[in-house]
Amino acid sequence: MDELDLLKKDWNKDDSTYPKLSYNEIYKMILKKSSSIVKWIFIISLLEFGFWLALSFLLKGTAYSSKMESLNMNHILIPITVISYAVLIYFFYLFYKNYRNISATDSSKKLMENIIKTRKTVKYYVIFNLASLVVGACIGAFYGFSHNPEFSDKLQLASANGEVFKFYALLFIVTIIILAIVIGVLLLFYWLIYGILLKRLNQNYKELKKLEV
Amino acid sequence: MNKELEHNFVKLLEQHQNIVHKVCRLYTNNQDAHNDLFQEITIQLWKAYPKFRGDAKFSTWMYRVGLNTAITLYRKSKRSINTQNFEGVEFKIKAEVYDDTEEQQLKILYKAVHQLNDIEKALVFLYLEDKDYREISETLGISEVNARVKMNRIKTKLRTILNP
Repeated sequence: MDELDLLKKDWNKDDSTYPKLSYNEIYKMILKKSSSIVKWIFIISLLEFGFWLALSFLLKGTAYSSKMESLNMNHILIPITVISYAVLIYFFYLFYKNYRNISATDSSKKLMENIIKTRKTVKYYVIFNLASLVVGACIGAFYGFSHNPEFSDKLQLASANGEVFKFYALLFIVTIIILAIVIGVLLLFYWLIYGILLKRLNQNYKELKKLEV
Repeated sequence: MNKELEHNFVKLLEQHQNIVHKVCRLYTNNQDAHNDLFQEITIQLWKAYPKFRGDAKFSTWMYRVGLNTAITLYRKSKRSINTQNFEGVEFKIKAEVYDDTEEQQLKILYKAVHQLNDIEKALVFLYLEDKDYREISETLGISEVNARVKMNRIKTKLRTILNP
C-alpha cells in the first residue's frame, strides 16, 4: 500500500477528533470582518488613488503653481488637468472592475490571476503618474527657465564666464537627483508593502505555473 | 442581510464544519492559527454564499473556498510561522527514532505532509478527501495530466521522507 493510502485510511477514520462548533459560535463568526489580503489590497489601492489625487490638489495651492499661472501656461495646464482626471477615472474603473471579479469560488489559479490583475491596474496607474511627474518636471523646468528673467540673467552671467555647459550640466544633475530620490522612496514603499502582502501569493502562483511547464 | 439566508448558511456550515477543520489542520500548526484560519474561511464562505447555486454540492463548493482562503486569501500571522520552524526541528528528531509501527509511520507522514508547500498540500488534501483528478484539476485550475504528474511526485517525495 502506498504511503498516501495509509494516510487516507486514517484521515477518514475518525471525524470526532475535530472541534465541534455550535450554531451560535459559527453565527458569531460570520459577523466578524475579514482580514484577507484582498481587503488589504483594496484599502491600499484606495490610499494610492487618494494619494495622487491629494498631491494634485496640494500642488495647486503652492507658490510653485502661482508662479506657473503668472507664466500664463493655462493653455497647457488645463488640457493636462483634464487628461489626468480622465486617466484617473479610467484606471479607477478598471481597478474596480477587476476587484469585483475576484471570487473565492474560482479555481485557485484564476483567483490568483484576478488578484494579480487588480494589483497591476494600480501599479500601471502609479507608473503613469511617475512618468507624468518626470515629463511634467522636464517641461516645467524648460518652460519656467525660458520665461524667467532671473534665470536668463544667471545664464548670461554664466556664458560671460564661459561656463554655459557647466551651468546646464549642474541644472540637469540636480533635476535628476531630485526625481531619483522621489521615485526611489516611492519604489521602496511599494516594494515593502507588496513584497510582504503578496509574497505568499506570488510563491504559490509560481508553483502552479511551474506545474504547467 | 437576509435572516433566512443567514440561518441556512450557519446550519449548513455547522453540518459540514469538518471540511473546514481539515483544511485548517493541514495549513496550520497550532490551535490559535487553526481558529484564525477557520474564522477567515467562514467569512469567505459567507461572503460567497449568496452566489452559491444549489446545483453544486455544498461540500464541493466548500473545498474550493476553503482551499482558496488557505492558499491565497489568508494572511498568516507571525505566530504560526514561529511554530513552523519548531515543527521542522521536531520532525528531524522523530525521524531518527523511527520504528516500523503503523502509528509511528502515520505520525511521520503527517509531519511530512506539513512540510509540503501550499499547492502540494492542496493536492494531498483533495486526494485524501477522495476527489478524482478531474475535480482536483478544476479546483486548482491546472490540467488533469499535470495534477496526476504532480501527485506522483508528491508520493515519491513522501516515500523518500518515510524511507530515507
